[in-house]
Amino acid sequence: MFLIRSIDLTATGREIVREREIAKADLSIGRAAENDIHLPDLAVEQRHVSVTPAVGGQLRLKAIGNLGFTVDGRSTSDVTIDPSEGGELELGSYRLGFATEEDGRVTVTVRQAAERETGKADELTGFALASVMPGKRPLAWAGVAAILVFFLALPIWSHLNRAKAEPDFDKPGAVMMDASWRTGSLSSVHHALEDNCEACHVEPFVAVRDEACLTCHKDIGDHAAQNRQSAARGASEGLDAVQWDVAHAFNKPGPGACTDCHTEHEGPGRMEATAEKFCTDCHGSLDAQLADTALGNASDFGKTHPQFKALLTTEAGQSQPVRVSLADKPKQWDGLRFPHAMHLSVTNGVAQMSRRLGAAQGYGKPLECASCHRPTADGVRFLPVDMETDCETCHSLVYDRVGSTYRTLRHGDVEQMRADLLAMDRAARRPVVDPRRRTGQPSDLYRANFGGPTTASALLSRAMTKDGLCGECHIPAAGSSLGVMPVTQPSRYFMHGWFDHEDHKQETCISCHAADKSEAATDLLLPGIAQCRTCHEGESSRKAEVPSGCAMCHSYHPRTGAAAAPPRIARR
Amino acid sequence: MASVSDAPSHAERRRATEHESFLAHKGMRWLKIAIGLSVAAILGYAFADVEPRPNGGTWYGYTLGTIGALLIVWLALLGVRKRAMTEGRWSLKAWTSAHVYLGLALLVIATLHTGFQLGWNVHTLAYGLMVLVILSGIYGITVYALLPQRLSSNRREMTKGQMLESLAAIDRQLEQAAQPLARDDADLVIDALDQDPFAPGLIARLTGNYRHCRTERALDALAGPMDGRAATLDPAHERVVVLLRKRDGQLEQIRRHLQLRAMLEVWLYIHVPMTIALLAALTAHIVSVFYYW
Repeated sequence: MFLIRSIDLTATGREIVREREIAKADLSIGRAAENDIHLPDLAVEQRHVSVTPAVGGQLRLKAIGNLGFTVDGRSTSDVTIDPSEGGELELGSYRLGFATEEDGRVTVTVRQAAERETGKADELTGFALASVMPGKRPLAWAGVAAILVFFLALPIWSHLNRAKAEPDFDKPGAVMMDASWRTGSLSSVHHALEDNCEACHVEPFVAVRDEACLTCHKDIGDHAAQNRQSAARGASEGLDAVQWDVAHAFNKPGPGACTDCHTEHEGPGRMEATAEKFCTDCHGSLDAQLADTALGNASDFGKTHPQFKALLTTEAGQSQPVRVSLADKPKQWDGLRFPHAMHLSVTNGVAQMSRRLGAAQGYGKPLECASCHRPTADGVRFLPVDMETDCETCHSLVYDRVGSTYRTLRHGDVEQMRADLLAMDRAARRPVVDPRRRTGQPSDLYRANFGGPTTASALLSRAMTKDGLCGECHIPAAGSSLGVMPVTQPSRYFMHGWFDHEDHKQETCISCHAADKSEAATDLLLPGIAQCRTCHEGESSRKAEVPSGCAMCHSYHPRTGAAAAPPRIARR
Repeated sequence: MASVSDAPSHAERRRATEHESFLAHKGMRWLKIAIGLSVAAILGYAFADVEPRPNGGTWYGYTLGTIGALLIVWLALLGVRKRAMTEGRWSLKAWTSAHVYLGLALLVIATLHTGFQLGWNVHTLAYGLMVLVILSGIYGITVYALLPQRLSSNRREMTKGQMLESLAAIDRQLEQAAQPLARDDADLVIDALDQDPFAPGLIARLTGNYRHCRTERALDALAGPMDGRAATLDPAHERVVVLLRKRDGQLEQIRRHLQLRAMLEVWLYIHVPMTIALLAALTAHIVSVFYYW
């Protein structure tokens, strides 16, 4: 039992509803007039759809011909619907709504759609994400504009229009947004220039020039005369030449510019040490480029490096020290008689003497290097040995006692000594010299070896002999009865390299200086390059304990004093 | 397609053999080239004699930078090239294949160019944008490979138009069915019908999480907990609830479609604008380096 409700529109838009009942279990729908529901639309077949009951009050809609139909928006040719849940059959311009009434009848509401609404392209665009997103082009242009304005136009504009001023370490730069151009932090020494890019980057598209560096580093010296340097460098070849051609095409200075060796923007901390290669470019084959050079080739400390040359006096009477290669096994003449081995022995009288002096005097054990040699405050080198503090405890110059006070000869003043001793002779007095009171006496003080009981004048006449008062340590000078040869104690032997004792503290002294086997003061106790190479080899060495570039010991810029030292030492 | 038989027809077989993904173009020719390029760049990085350390400012750094910049420009030109389809050696497919693989190689080349020195500057901005573009591209390739299958199965042989038609058909029935309802309940239905399924934005589309869905709210109100209502619904309510469920189901399909479409398309909103921004950042990067030379 179906209730067919047809809804038509009048010309004025008013609805006309007609209802009729069909007391059948099934329906036929089509354009032909004999159909139960007749739809006058050319898009509808003569006999289009049959409606037959299915189980559970459902209805089966089936195409009679080949042409399908649409139910609830889906194209089909055979479908089962439940009218109690609703369903809409669309045929041509007609829509047939199926619904179950309360009395169990199925109502079919037939109405003609005002116009076809399918294929609405603009409605389908809603499926695309683009319908809810801003366009890609506006996004792109906004990004382009922001980047070009803030990261390009603004820095360039403010750089070109800045007030020209002398570079100033203390003033921030005038260029805006150029911090965004920084490729990396400056080293700690240049940290103050962090906000002052134009101090170094003076002209646009001109690579940093030496003049910019020299604004502050005024006093830096040339490594060598410019013509010698270029001769030593020689003409670049192969890939190197290509690299320089490209660099020059892009307005880079060099070779030999500050920036060749000193690279910046490598991050905070110390400036990068200059690599070995920058030195060995010239020094690796220096003899080929500079035929007259006195310098040996040096390309790698472990492989090619000349033997060290020490600055020292090699014989008596030299007014100036000379530089001699350790390869020649030179002797050092320092004006003293001093056997290191005897003093460092742990068994002989010296050792015994040192033990008996006791800890209160700073001794108590056999002598060690440190008993006499004291490092400088920075630990780099050693102070000269001082007679009064380092020798006199044993080599005493005490010559008299008045009550509980000892009188001591003044070391280094010959005339004063002569006067003191002669004055002692005037008074008849027991000589201070008493062999029976030598060691172990309550005074705990050693006295000078004055020999047996004698007069001062006799003493003076013997003073310069090998066992005499002065001659025990000193070498007599010709021409004066009491004069001694000058004593030289160099604090630095290697004038072009820098050695830091502080950095070698974990070594024992005698691991480099063979003092325990040295019987004469003329033995030069400096270690040679072979000794250094037990730990140090070239920068690229893989087996060395300490791979060492040139800059570890050498400084490129010649200046005097501590400023010439490599930063490692100059920092102390 | 109900008519598909087990054995593919001759025409289908031929098409299957003819189709070759741009990823597999010419036996992965561009993958091999890209791997070769990357390996060469890595070996060069390992063995190049640069001082004091590898970065963009060494001769090798400038070399990689030049290659990278040219690659970026060429890769961006796909946007121009794709608007003209041709066949053969320089077919769009070959171009796209090269675009994908050389783009991946660019990640290696540009990373080596940085020497792993990154900071808050325009140089790293360019690098960051490039990485974003490449990562979004990788995402794009991935979803293009995975999602169309799911998009197709979600369709259940309906066109987008039919999905909307179906929704419209349900809506018309709902409007009829809701006639007997009281004011409050009728308002719920009106609210549900008025809601534009396409209004929700990017987040809702991507997550599929529609918190303000009025259809679901109407369903909850009409069919939800029965407090204060009769244990069973009267037939009018019953019909409306059934139709609202149908509407909800239809919305579900549309939303699933929206979600898959959004996942397929969203990467382009990073890939394309970021590429253009990258070109600007690259310009600023290169000009600034030579300006403060």
